[in-house]
Amino acid sequence: MTRSRLCIALVAILAFVLTACGGGGSSPSGPTEIAVWHGYQDTEGEVFKGLVAQYNKDHPDVKVSELYSSNDLVLQKVLTAVRGGSAPDVAYMFGSWSPNIAQIPQVVDMADEVKNPDWKWDDFYPAEREAATVGDKIVGVPALVDNLAIVYNEKLFADAGVAPPTKDWTWDDFRAAAAKLADPTKGQYGWLIPADGSEDTVWHYLPMLWEAGGDILNSDDTKAAFNSPEGVKAVTVLQQMAVNDKSVYLDTTNENGPKLMNSGKVAMLITGPWDLSQLSDISYGVQVMPTFAGSNGGHQTIAGPDNWVVFDNGDAKKKAAVDFVKWLSAPEQVKAFSLGTGDLPIRTSVGQDQSVLTKLNENVPGTSTFVENLSNVKKVRPTVQQYPDVSEALGQAIVSVMLGKEQPEAALNSAATAADTALAEK
Amino acid sequence: MTTTELPPTETVAREASSPPRERKFRLPFSPWHLVLIPMTFVLILPLLWMLVTSLETESETNRFPPVLLPERPRFENYTEAWAAAPFGHFFLNSAMVTVVVLISNLVVCSLAGYAFARIRFLGRGALFVTLMATLMVPFQVTMIPVFLIVKWFGDNVWEGLGIDHIGALMLPNLATAFGIFFLRQFFQTVPVELEEAARVDGTSRLGVLFKIVLPLSLPAMSTLAALTVLTSWNDFLWPLIVITSQDQMTIPLGLSYFQGAHRVKWPLLMAANVMSLLPMLLVFIGAQRYFVQSVASTGIKG
Amino acid sequence: MPSLLGRLSRTDTAAGWALASPAAVLIGIFGLLPVLMSLQLSFQQSDLLRPQTPWVGLANYRKLAEDPVFVEAIKHTIVYTALFVPGTMLVGLFVAAAMNRSVRFISVYRTAAYITMAVSTISQGIIFLWLTDRDYGLVNAGLNAVGISSQPFLASPSQALYVIVAMTIWGWTGFSVIVYLAALQGVPAELHEAAMIDGASAFTRFRTITVPLLGPANLFLLVWLTINALQLFDEVYATTRGGPLRATTVIVYYLWDRAFVHFDAGYAAAMAYALFVVILIITAVQFRLARKHVQN
Repeated sequence: MTRSRLCIALVAILAFVLTACGGGGSSPSGPTEIAVWHGYQDTEGEVFKGLVAQYNKDHPDVKVSELYSSNDLVLQKVLTAVRGGSAPDVAYMFGSWSPNIAQIPQVVDMADEVKNPDWKWDDFYPAEREAATVGDKIVGVPALVDNLAIVYNEKLFADAGVAPPTKDWTWDDFRAAAAKLADPTKGQYGWLIPADGSEDTVWHYLPMLWEAGGDILNSDDTKAAFNSPEGVKAVTVLQQMAVNDKSVYLDTTNENGPKLMNSGKVAMLITGPWDLSQLSDISYGVQVMPTFAGSNGGHQTIAGPDNWVVFDNGDAKKKAAVDFVKWLSAPEQVKAFSLGTGDLPIRTSVGQDQSVLTKLNENVPGTSTFVENLSNVKKVRPTVQQYPDVSEALGQAIVSVMLGKEQPEAALNSAATAADTALAEK
Repeated sequence: MTTTELPPTETVAREASSPPRERKFRLPFSPWHLVLIPMTFVLILPLLWMLVTSLETESETNRFPPVLLPERPRFENYTEAWAAAPFGHFFLNSAMVTVVVLISNLVVCSLAGYAFARIRFLGRGALFVTLMATLMVPFQVTMIPVFLIVKWFGDNVWEGLGIDHIGALMLPNLATAFGIFFLRQFFQTVPVELEEAARVDGTSRLGVLFKIVLPLSLPAMSTLAALTVLTSWNDFLWPLIVITSQDQMTIPLGLSYFQGAHRVKWPLLMAANVMSLLPMLLVFIGAQRYFVQSVASTGIKG
Repeated sequence: MPSLLGRLSRTDTAAGWALASPAAVLIGIFGLLPVLMSLQLSFQQSDLLRPQTPWVGLANYRKLAEDPVFVEAIKHTIVYTALFVPGTMLVGLFVAAAMNRSVRFISVYRTAAYITMAVSTISQGIIFLWLTDRDYGLVNAGLNAVGISSQPFLASPSQALYVIVAMTIWGWTGFSVIVYLAALQGVPAELHEAAMIDGASAFTRFRTITVPLLGPANLFLLVWLTINALQLFDEVYATTRGGPLRATTVIVYYLWDRAFVHFDAGYAAAMAYALFVVILIITAVQFRLARKHVQN
């Protein structure tokens, strides 16, 4: 027995040696190799790989390799890689990480680069540019944009005899409709909100805060402002729907939304374009978010732009990486990517192109409403390092109110105190 | 304590014909099955769910509460999952890593486990505690230092051991305090008289280990083997951090292909998951006889 | 002849170290060194972003002492461990003992136990989230059928931790069973026969013969399950993410959150070290108790 085990060991070691030796190192002369880490799969993955292949063909002096790495986990991976001296050249990173990524010395500041007119920097939607800007630095180039709007089940509305959402809806209308469409005893709900207290919850709440006329932080980002009367008003609506009406399903998994929607158990969802393709079993409509009566916050919504972040791995690679990202975000490629994947175009020039909108709607109905909704994105989340702490405090407060554990004003005030402490620290 | 044993079936049979005053209702099978079957069912629930999901369409998986019976079992999910990424290559990588880690652990941990179990040496206690201490700090904290150490090996010893090579997946796992602790406990149950007798005859420590202790510890060794294979095969976090090239990826990384930021492709993910379980399952089933203590008559009564 | 009772002989020491050295070297480099390097991190302020990691001495530890969330995390971790460890051992022992008797299908049962360990915590999490869902879960359907109203379970701050206990006992039973099965193989049948002839019932025999001989396995499970329970992370990450309202925030989850969501890695390392000391002490006590127990 021992002998055969030794044999297996030798064979394994040999096999591994042979394969490992075959593994490539890059040749000193030859195309500059750059590594791009992204989270695209499926259709997005195919389209992206196609673009990469095209770029490689057109630029024989550069070899772009792409690696799939799930977006949720890419931060840990990047941080470890940076620490260990093996950072990628380009990585797709969530916009909410920008203020923190800005501190990594290896991240390339694109501020001077994008001043060059052929970037057409101003063609990117304002929210994207703001999400990539931390102080004087520009930490990345827009990769993705989206926003939140109401997605509703047309049949459930018709069956209950409730008029579907319109552009003139206020939150009172929303609340009334949700109450009529809900029947908790039958497991039917009017609305669903992610309720785990994380940034997901906060992100869904922020448009409500802005529509009510409130703000997250004060103008110089030193103190919390979300506990203003406007903030209380916004949270109170949530309280009324969750605690009093019991018309909203509190989703602590943060992923049951589209599933419940698709199963006809929830009548409305405030979500982004990414969920539309999962709603294959219902006929849905898309509408902008409601306003608050008496506020001039309008139909504000929130965008969650993500960025391509470039890392400095030496001059040659840096230049190649910057060039690649510039090409990737050029109007022609933006149009191709958007049409191929159904993702919203990241440039206004493409987003206002009627032919693009029509085509997008053909593939996934309702997408054009989301594109037009981009004009409702007026504010972004503060790009301060301590945002995660602020978000955490606010998120816990919101969940606490929705679970009926606290009153809006008290919850927001204690969250504001926690946020202020965090903001004062660094 | 002896390790001779009568075939357990006889014991059970004797159970059934116990004192005549208790006229038990005799089932055609052991009554324990009535307890075990439901319990086993509860235990394998996740697996059943995985199987069911792997045969559904994507739209069927987009429902909550979940659909329990697909309209039509979609076996194509398996071929599609296999084709979605170079799983054949991933399997090979996972297999190589697992085999090396397994053999290394079995060898190194039995040597050390025996030393801790039976040899009284200076510093034994301190060394044991030190090794155990490595189990007490979570990986989330040590992963960056481990990364740096492995990178050092890659840069200074051999590239194949460094970042982005499967050697890096093997290196930190070649021995674990878990294995040593486990074997120490089980080696302690081997009758010390057998060992003493052998040593009197002049057998070396190593000889005692190989000729006496190991043959009597097959259930323990095979259990450790099973557990090591499991941990190595399913390791996700470490490969995630260390591997960046597709040709060095292992199966768990391949599975993450199906887990998008907004959306998980459940049917394909579950199909791939089921396929990745199969080798482990087959090996485990094949090794069943090693889990039973062989009837070794040693002539010593306990 | 080297006596196994006498003083530590030189040949024994040489032999012991010779056999233990491959393990010592490997674990020393890849296990101990990172642990020491993390200790260093706990005395620094590090955000994993900038390469500068200024020395701050005991500041992280002091912050720990004043952190109310850390105190909550400790409470949750203790409650969790106190329920999970005995629970898993008892369930595992019961199931293993049952399996050990139905020999005809023992391989099937043993394989089933093994394969449950192969299921990822993510899949386990999904199943439990569904089973315990307040509106659509099977557990509540069952409760409703007997007249009990639907429970929020994982969505409830007061119930969530206990549901996690149940979920992890379920997830670890396979491991416990496999270990006990291996141990039960070493219990000689003659002892049982002798006792049976004396008229002892199955339960008495189990209690007086089998259980004591499971000593080493018991100690192993006790120590290993405790070490793991105190470091609970995966199942919380897969289900509640420390919520609702921090009800399931345990120490390792909290430190991961600090390091990778809030970019305070030095603080996380300090937390890990505080935990490490606790685990070390508890483990030492367990070994000491075991030794006393054996001596009786």
